[in-house]
Amino acid sequence: MSSPSLTLPPHTPATARNRRLLEILGALAIAGTYIYLVLNQPADITGGPGSAAALIALSGFLVGAVLLIVAVLPTLPVSTLVLIPVALVLNIVLGQFVGSTLVPFYLDAIGTVLIAVLAGPAAGAATGALSSIVWSFFNPTVLPFAAGAALIGCLAGLAARYGLFRRFYLVPVAGFVTGIIGGVVSAPVAAFVFGGTSGLATGAIVSAFRSMGDSLLAAITKQALISDPMDKAIVFTLVALLVYALPRRTRLQFPFVRRHRVLAGQAAQPGNDELPGNAGPATPSTGQGS
Amino acid sequence: MRLHPLTALAAAGSTALITTAAACWPLSVAVGATAVGLSVVAGTARRMLPAAAAVVIPLGVSLLLLHGLFFPEGATVLASWGPARVTAEGLQFGAERTAQLSAAVLAMLLFSFSVSVPDLVAALSSRGVKGRFAFVLASTLTLVPAISARVQRIRQAQEARGLLIRRGWAHRVAAFRLQAVPLVLSLVDDAGTRAQALEARGFSSPGPRTSYREVPDPPLQRVLRLVLLLAAAAAVAARLVFPTAGA
Repeated sequence: MSSPSLTLPPHTPATARNRRLLEILGALAIAGTYIYLVLNQPADITGGPGSAAALIALSGFLVGAVLLIVAVLPTLPVSTLVLIPVALVLNIVLGQFVGSTLVPFYLDAIGTVLIAVLAGPAAGAATGALSSIVWSFFNPTVLPFAAGAALIGCLAGLAARYGLFRRFYLVPVAGFVTGIIGGVVSAPVAAFVFGGTSGLATGAIVSAFRSMGDSLLAAITKQALISDPMDKAIVFTLVALLVYALPRRTRLQFPFVRRHRVLAGQAAQPGNDELPGNAGPATPSTGQGS
Repeated sequence: MRLHPLTALAAAGSTALITTAAACWPLSVAVGATAVGLSVVAGTARRMLPAAAAVVIPLGVSLLLLHGLFFPEGATVLASWGPARVTAEGLQFGAERTAQLSAAVLAMLLFSFSVSVPDLVAALSSRGVKGRFAFVLASTLTLVPAISARVQRIRQAQEARGLLIRRGWAHRVAAFRLQAVPLVLSLVDDAGTRAQALEARGFSSPGPRTSYREVPDPPLQRVLRLVLLLAAAAAVAARLVFPTAGA
């Protein structure tokens, strides 16, 4: 369903180069902001108004996320583009529900990781950033986390690209590592923009570290290192359960899945009905009547 | 005068930025109160206030508990139980941050609850990046009720087939799978159909578009947008040049 258009001109090398430049600039903005915040550790977090650091974190991460969207969004095939709203609704509905309960998890990335596994790292990054921006329509506090969400989507796509979703036992490991990176990058946003976390359970963990005398950034980073890897391991596992249960016809619609044999796929040996790699967890679902 | 959606967005965004940059609690309280007042005037308070409360109350409670009880940098101890020390500096920091964030949240929510989504989508051009972003935004907002209705239907169907959610993680994961797999499968399938329909109607073609919906954009509002954005940029620049002013 995503064949290249026969009637439209293909992307010229110049526009492709501009897009690549925007992607690199976006990644540099995010990385530069993070490095600046961690190296300088602005001393004014807990003394003084503390808003210079908040503004740097806010604008640097947001500009990076917007640049990534501008670079990636026009290149996505329409078949992927129409999936993004679906992923956003899954993120928002699950995230809003879990965020308000007393569990130190977020589970707000299921849709993002799903797109990343089916359509690749670029689509995953764009979905993560768009998810934060559209969600901020109902909850403006998630807006500053756009860069972290884009990073999660990109890393999930890379994990799928290099075959970590072919084996069920590798999936939580990939999620764990993604969570460590994502948590460390998002911690400065929580520390500098919010001066804490927005959930009650995560706030309790930060309080525990603060009571031991940690600085705010250190306490929030430690909390992120507790919550995020577990959270992403759960999210990756749930997404793996979902994509293993999708019928072959549906998952092979996606060129990314076919080209990189994301799910130990069938592109190499057509005509074979059994999937060799994931026969265990991919038992036919019994619950498909809707 | 009706506000163009982009003017309203620029006003909300620059208000949030300027409040953050000023970091001055009387201004934060004033901005928050103004946003609530405007929403009462516009008649959106009934929907906006619960949404704002759902965001601000957990955040505020979390910040006040965190900084009120544990603020190692604080010097003026008001009370202490074991490791917890209530300090004046901690309470002040928590309250200031809560006021500042509430003002930004209320300003942004005032925009999202008063803007007409069809106008916003029409105001963003219908092709290129902005067109695709407008599609994602509009599509998400219309999919939310449709998808929650479908979740309901799938749960009813599975319960009719004997789905019982028992205690324990294994059962919960199994129940999640029984409901999520049909949901995601049908959504992915629908998306494929929608992609073909959109493609057949020239969704990604680069040519000019005709819109039946005209959103008036008077020149005065264009100037106003520019002024608002410049003011926000100036506030940010001023704060970065004088990081501790007004402390």
